[in-house]
Amino acid sequence: MDQKRIDLFDLAERRLAWADRRQAVLAQNIANVNTPAFKPHDLRPFESLLQGAHPVAPLRTQPRHLAGTLAVAVPNEVVDRAHAQSPDGNAVTLDEQLVKISETENTHRLATAIYRKYLGMFSMALGRAGAG
Amino acid sequence: MDLDRALGIAARGMEAQTTRLRVIAENLANQDTTGSAPGADPYRRKTITFENRLDRQLGTAAVRIKELGHDKSEFPQRYDPANPAADAAGYVKLPNINSLVEVMDMREAERSYSANLAVMQSSRGMLTRTIDMLK
Repeated sequence: MDQKRIDLFDLAERRLAWADRRQAVLAQNIANVNTPAFKPHDLRPFESLLQGAHPVAPLRTQPRHLAGTLAVAVPNEVVDRAHAQSPDGNAVTLDEQLVKISETENTHRLATAIYRKYLGMFSMALGRAGAG
Repeated sequence: MDLDRALGIAARGMEAQTTRLRVIAENLANQDTTGSAPGADPYRRKTITFENRLDRQLGTAAVRIKELGHDKSEFPQRYDPANPAADAAGYVKLPNINSLVEVMDMREAERSYSANLAVMQSSRGMLTRTIDMLK
């Protein structure tokens, strides 16, 4: 990615990927609300992903090197610090998780809206009014 | 894709809670089931536990039933010599079911089920909006 250009498409895409992944992690938490000893997980905030824009990735300098199996830009999953814990060791709080779910949904809504608007601007510049 | 996974995980969660509700229904329906022979054991309360295990079909960990067990607590006894299940001293063993506990469990299962449903609806909305970007 070229650092000097602010690539809105790329940014929106990464934000969408982040929201996608977070939704799966939160779904996992909520599905396990009654599983003994389950600790909720969460993703690192998107801002921290942006600051470390270039994650360290293994590079193949020889064709005979093994290719990695992990995608480079996988946002790290962290164990949520638990506030409360039920007697069976489960630390999922349903309302907190649901708030996060709606937060993620709003993020996703925002990113798709930006993507569409930007696309609409391209269409306008190309002379196709009303597109986007 | 992760949104598909979220849908799958939520579905598994709903499935688990449905099974839990079935066990609770079984317990509540059998809260007066005594044995038929003198001194025989009555219905024993069933329990259910969940675990988070890798689901190969889904490609991620998902909740599933770990074990359907039995509550090992003691049976309460009642003096009722006319009952066919009464032992020599006239006592009948009753099921170890507390309907209050079962009803509370039922409420919790219901609540967990609707939380999973909310996840499903939200994920579906996100999927729809992603597809709408094509238009």
